Amino acid sequence: MGAPLSQDQGLVGSAASEDGSGAAPEEPLFLEPRLEPPLRALLAAPDLLHELVDALGSPLNVVLPEVVASNVEAFRAVYRRHRLQGRICFAHKANASSALVRRLADTEAGLDAASVAELSHALGAGFAPDRVVATGPKDPDFLWLAARAGVTVHVDAPAELADLVRLVRARGLPRVRVLLRLSGFASEGVRLLTRRTRFGTPAGAVGELLDLCARERDAVELLGVGYHLDTTGLEEKALALESCVLVLDEARARGLDPRVVDVGGGFGASYLADGRQWERYTTALTDAVLGRRPPLTWGGHGYGLRNEGGTVRGRLTLYPAHRPVAGPGYLDELLNTPAPGLGRPLAEVLLEHLYDLWVEPGRSLVDQCGLSLARVVDVRATEDGTRLVRLAMTAGDVSLEEHGVLTDPVLVPRAGAADPPGDGDDRPVGVHLVGDLCLESDLVTRRTVFLPRLPDRGDLLAFANTAGYCMDFRAHRAQMRPGARKVAAGRRPDGAWWWSLDERYWPHTTRRSGES
Amino acid sequence: MRYDDITEAIGNTPLVRIDPAVHGLRTIDLYAKLEMLNPFGSVKDRAAWNMLRPDLAGAVERDAQVVELSSGNTAKALAVLAGLHGLRFRSVTNRMRVPELRELLLLLGAEIEELPGRSECLDPTDTDDPLTQFHRALTEDGAHHLHTDQYFNPRNTEAHTTGTGPEIVKDLGGRAPDWFVACVGTAGSSTGVARVLREHDPGVGVLGLVAAKSDFIPGIRTLDEVAEVGLFDPETYDVIEAVTADEAIDGMVELNRRCGLLAGPTSGAAYRGAVSHLRPLDEERARRASGEPAERATAVFIACDRVESYLGYVRRRRPELLGRAPHRNALATVTEAELAAVRDAGVAEARRWIEEERPLVVDLRGSHAYAALHIEGAINIVDELFEQQVHGGLPFGRDRPVLLVCPVGEKSARFAALLTRMGHTNVRSLAGGVVAWRDAGAPLVRE
Repeated sequence: MGAPLSQDQGLVGSAASEDGSGAAPEEPLFLEPRLEPPLRALLAAPDLLHELVDALGSPLNVVLPEVVASNVEAFRAVYRRHRLQGRICFAHKANASSALVRRLADTEAGLDAASVAELSHALGAGFAPDRVVATGPKDPDFLWLAARAGVTVHVDAPAELADLVRLVRARGLPRVRVLLRLSGFASEGVRLLTRRTRFGTPAGAVGELLDLCARERDAVELLGVGYHLDTTGLEEKALALESCVLVLDEARARGLDPRVVDVGGGFGASYLADGRQWERYTTALTDAVLGRRPPLTWGGHGYGLRNEGGTVRGRLTLYPAHRPVAGPGYLDELLNTPAPGLGRPLAEVLLEHLYDLWVEPGRSLVDQCGLSLARVVDVRATEDGTRLVRLAMTAGDVSLEEHGVLTDPVLVPRAGAADPPGDGDDRPVGVHLVGDLCLESDLVTRRTVFLPRLPDRGDLLAFANTAGYCMDFRAHRAQMRPGARKVAAGRRPDGAWWWSLDERYWPHTTRRSGES
Repeated sequence: MRYDDITEAIGNTPLVRIDPAVHGLRTIDLYAKLEMLNPFGSVKDRAAWNMLRPDLAGAVERDAQVVELSSGNTAKALAVLAGLHGLRFRSVTNRMRVPELRELLLLLGAEIEELPGRSECLDPTDTDDPLTQFHRALTEDGAHHLHTDQYFNPRNTEAHTTGTGPEIVKDLGGRAPDWFVACVGTAGSSTGVARVLREHDPGVGVLGLVAAKSDFIPGIRTLDEVAEVGLFDPETYDVIEAVTADEAIDGMVELNRRCGLLAGPTSGAAYRGAVSHLRPLDEERARRASGEPAERATAVFIACDRVESYLGYVRRRRPELLGRAPHRNALATVTEAELAAVRDAGVAEARRWIEEERPLVVDLRGSHAYAALHIEGAINIVDELFEQQVHGGLPFGRDRPVLLVCPVGEKSARFAALLTRMGHTNVRSLAGGVVAWRDAGAPLVRE
């Protein structure tokens, strides 16, 4: 499968058709990022961006703390619309930024910590323990710190609850509030298959956990139950949410007084400005896999699709980059979805049963909250004409590829370049973005990326909207390279930009007050 | 017509001309091949029976379960045919988006498995598509399954090369039509019919219709999805065009209301797609005839199934098509002024009122929520039911004191306003609802 690399035309804008018929050149397959006003404004400040990278090095991550605060408000608006109460917890693992966490501490949001370091970071950023949930697999140290500090523990399995009870008794700790993480929800009629998970207690086996909560009620207080499903499917989530309500009913029957259904995260973000570009691209990718057009990727990579006798097999391993409904809108749609058994909309079911709704968004809560910058260090063509643009970053520094997120970087030219850029050619061009590691596989993306023109050495490429999982989740220090620096930025009331090192940012600083 | 077996009633469907006054084509006669009149309701009856028949005896002998990846009509036909022969049937799908069909399948005794939705936290190394997983599961347990494999089975196409295609030629007096129009799902009917028609007349034009990307029309795949179909060969079609869900519904309504054809949205898409493709050709033909009566041409499209299963689909996309004038006593007619005049009672006041006057306490929440926790002595009338009741008049005496209760006191206030308008003299709404009641520490009981 896959045609030789030489077919990979560099200059698509001027590529003559193979038969020489002079057919109209094909449109470059742009995937332009969705840019809301704050990110758009930042990209409109090229001098600032170049100055920052000159001073702090490439790659460089920039976060916008004010955007995260308005994202919390957008989620809260959905709660208000449905008359629901409950916590909006940031899934910390999406971004390690101190500025974002401290700014969140200054809102009403909660935080979901998945390690000792994240928990310490949250407490140190100003989160009171009752706003923090400890989730994920936990070692004894994490469990102790969570219990000692008095944060809510999202219990993954029966053994963990037993460990927690022992710990509370042995160390004389105060009563710990717990949420039970459930999985494996059974449906009636139609069998809903769900991706296998390593986490949570099967809903069918929850009785034992509830018994334990009832028996040990002086050590643990059952706050509620929750789930986290790795799916975009509303029906699976509707089934899980309804099942949680029914489980809480069993808890009440045991004399417990639970209040919370935690629906986890997975609300998603939309990365692209234009759904038609996404549709055109994915169709072209299918055609390329079937050999109906030259490959769109390094080495004919099919992103999970393969050609078996002229038929496409496999599954597109890409994040659905353009989503008409994502983030708060997705939560709204979930709440409007009828419960599969009870029949009433899920929001109504929660409200009627007097339960609070907790959510743990990661990616969607830091949507539009930052970008990653990389300096162009080399531009060259290989023997077959493939154009390589080498960046001062590794693929791990902007893990778009690892997360299957395809968007174009924004070209930020170096100001004051005397000559017209590049070779004077101002037409759109298809290039391959390669990283700075001495490693063949260090491709920032395997996709042929179309840029409005060929970049020059010294230009910056800005990868927009990377704050959710694409900044530091996969960053590493291979070849003893220093990690990317992170800065927080925002605008003063007069429109001028301020910035500070991420670790030096605190929300109270007066010079930033009143910023828009 | 007398048959010994319902399967004999499959096929030989009518070819019906669409009234030119409706479609407006001047030089082209447009015919619908009424596949919806097959005994189980769709064009898939042919393929299902043709795929199942050769393996039936063996399957019965080893008690195999019939298995297919289908979201609708193929599953429906296979469920009936399996039941008819004492076999079990399982449908595996990730596209069961028509609730009526889903319930009908359950009624027919089918087992349904829905594949999971897309992953939110992507694992780029996991490239197994649901189809591959499905095939692997079948191979592991081969003897116990009969997989009809509609997307790859040549007997799907064959059902139409031996049935649908020749029937069209025969009904047109031994001629192929000038154009043939079909929606592409498994590509079985379009491929089979096109092959037969081309044998009669290589000049026949074949129009394949796909769903606009990111749109959903039952039974039709999008341009990308057809590439996953083994029977699909782009060479079959002279033109492939996309239809939107809106166009499909418009076409369907025209067939329903003006042509006497109770066909569903897939047929609507074929009809709409046919007319929009043919219109410019028709104008060109009329212009060239310059006033003379032009030579008649013919076109055939497939009306693949019936409308009844798609009311939910229509309700969701085009509710105005099902619109009726609101009832006089509908909740939606309550005005702001009426709402402002409602007497509501805070928790303390309500408790006192219950103590002193023992009003009827009506809890409007869902019955499960009511059973879990409620105010002692309250009766439960779920809001939807209550609204239906008040359409007909007051459900209790005009002077009987009534306290209405809902989760947060909004819906109960609306109902209180409505009851007041209807002449009730002493109805109140619990301010803040059960949530406020609980937050005030007032008692709630379980049954």
